Amino acid sequence: MIIEKSPKSSIAKILIPGIIIGVVVSAIAVLAYHQSGDARFCGSCHSMKPVHHQWKVSNHQQFTCTECHLPDTHIAGKVAYKIRAGLNDLVHETARDYQAGIAFSERSRQIVNRNCVRCHASTIAKTPMAQDGANCLNCHRYLVHGRGQDEGGIKFEK
Amino acid sequence: MKSRNIILKVLMGILLIVMIIVLIRVFWQAPPSTLRLASIIDSEYDPAVWGRYYPLEYNSYLKNKEMTPSPTGFGGSEKYQKSTKEPEILINFKGMAFSKDYTEDRGHPYAMDDLKETKRVGPTTPGSCMTCKTANLRDIYKDMGWNYAKTPLAELLPRIKHSIVCANCHQPQTMKLRVLNPAFIEAMQKRGIDVARASREDMRSYVCGQCHSEYYFEPETKRVIFPWDKGLKPQDMYAYYKEVPSGFDMDWLHPDSGAKMLKAQHPDFEMWSGGVHGKSGVSCADCHMPFMRDKGQKYTSHWVTSPMKHVQASCRTCHTQDEQWLLERVKSTQNNVFQLQRIAGQTIARAHNALGKASAAAKVNQGDLERARELIRNAQWFWDFVAAENSMGFHNPDGALNILGQSIDLAHQAIATANRAAGTQY
Repeated sequence: MIIEKSPKSSIAKILIPGIIIGVVVSAIAVLAYHQSGDARFCGSCHSMKPVHHQWKVSNHQQFTCTECHLPDTHIAGKVAYKIRAGLNDLVHETARDYQAGIAFSERSRQIVNRNCVRCHASTIAKTPMAQDGANCLNCHRYLVHGRGQDEGGIKFEK
Repeated sequence: MKSRNIILKVLMGILLIVMIIVLIRVFWQAPPSTLRLASIIDSEYDPAVWGRYYPLEYNSYLKNKEMTPSPTGFGGSEKYQKSTKEPEILINFKGMAFSKDYTEDRGHPYAMDDLKETKRVGPTTPGSCMTCKTANLRDIYKDMGWNYAKTPLAELLPRIKHSIVCANCHQPQTMKLRVLNPAFIEAMQKRGIDVARASREDMRSYVCGQCHSEYYFEPETKRVIFPWDKGLKPQDMYAYYKEVPSGFDMDWLHPDSGAKMLKAQHPDFEMWSGGVHGKSGVSCADCHMPFMRDKGQKYTSHWVTSPMKHVQASCRTCHTQDEQWLLERVKSTQNNVFQLQRIAGQTIARAHNALGKASAAAKVNQGDLERARELIRNAQWFWDFVAAENSMGFHNPDGALNILGQSIDLAHQAIATANRAAGTQY
C-alpha cells in the first residue's frame, strides 16, 4: 500500500490541496450565494425589471430579494430552494415564455407570508392571525411591488 | 479511460454552448423594453402602414377580425340576430329599424362593412351615421364641419377608405392618444373637461368613450349630441330627454302603444363610469387592452374584446384569485342581469300590447292613457339602457340590476294604468 510506505507525505499530498480547493470552492459558493441574492442581480433579468423598479422606491428597499423570497429555514433548505427557483427563472428567461403578469405560486406565497411574520410577529401577536397563520399578502399585496399599471405604460426611446 | 474522456469533453462542450445561449438571450440580447417612435404622416389612415413600425400592436389589432363567442356566453364578436335569443325585441322596437335588423356587433375592422350591410341604413340615412365608423371622419369634419351630418351617407361613402383604425385613437407622430369624434369633445367641454389636456390614464377611457356612448341626432342639423347635461346615469339622461332638447322628442312612435319612444345606443362609457371599476380609476384599456408579452417583449394588446378571453392579463394584474374563479364571478353577474333583462323586456312587450288594446277601447280616459305611455317610455329606456350596453351589466352590476328592477316596476305600472284608463284586464 502506498500510504504505509510513506504515510506522512502522501496524507499531506491529498490534504493540503484538498483544503485549498475546499476553501476556494466554499468561498466561491458563499460569494455566489450572496451575489445571486442581491437585488441588482435579480433585477438584471428582463422579466424582473418592473418589480425591481418598484422595490427600489418601496418602504422595504433596505432588504434584498432573498430576505423575503427564500424560505425561512436552514441553509440547506434555502440553497435547495434557490437552485430550483434559479433554474426555473433561467429556463423561462432564456425561452422568454413568461406570462404577462408574473404571479405567486401557492408555495412562494406561503414563503413570503412567513417572512413577513418573521419581522412583524409582534404586530399580529394579539390577533387571531398569530394562531391561524397570517395571510399578509391578501391585503398588503401591493406593498413592495406596487401594481402593474403604476408603471405608466411602454415608453418610447429617447 | 479514453472513452470516458470523450464523454466528459462532449458534456463540457454542450454545457458551454448552453451557457453561451443563456448569456446571449438573457444579458447580451435582452428583449427591448422600449419602442422606437416611427414617423408616420398625418394623413395616413391605413393600419397596415402603421403596423410596419408597430408589428406586435398591429398583429393583436388583426385579431379583432376573429369572430368568436365570449367565454361567458354574452357579448362576443359573432354576428347573429339578437331577436333569436330575445324575441321581445321584435315587439318593443316595432315600427322602427331595430325590429328589422339588430345583430350582435363584430370587431372594429368590420365597422364600415356592417354599416353598409345593415338593413337599418337606406338612401335617406344621414352622414352622421358614419361618425364612429371610420378614421376618415377626421378629414371630412375638417372640410365640412358639422355639415357632413346632414349630407346623405351615400355621398360620403367614396371618401371613406378605412374602418376604425390606429388613427382613431393615436396621433401618428407622437403615438399619444387622441379622440376624433367632435360630439364627444363638445359633450366633455360642456361638463368642464378639456379632452386635449386630459391625463394619459383618462385618455385610456376617453378614446373608447368617444364612441361607446349614448347619443341622439339633433332633428334639424342631424348633429350627433351626447345627452350628458344632467349627468351620466340613465335617470339623468331620461330627465334630459324629457325637456325635449332642440326639439328632439322621440326616436319613433310605437304603433301599438302610441308612446313616443327612445332608443338607447351602447352606453358603455356611462355604465362603466358609475361602476366599481370606473369609480376606482380602472380605465377601459386596463381590462380591454392589457399588457401582453411576446417573446419577452411587453406590448399593449390591441385586440379589443371581452377581457374574459385573457383573464390572466386583464384581471390578475389586480385580483389574486385564479382564472376560473374570476370567470365564474363574471358569469354569475351576467346571468343575473340577463335574467332580469328578459323579465323587463317581456313585461314591456306585454305593456305595449295592453296599451294598444286600451287605446282601441270605445271609452277611454285620455289622461290615464298618456300617463301609461309616459310610464312605458321610461320603462323601455331603462331596459334598453342595459340591453343595448355591451357588458351584460358587468360594467356596473348593481347599477344595471337597479335600473332593470325599476324598469319592471314601471312596465307593470304602465299595464295597470292602461287598464284603469279603459277598464280593460290585460
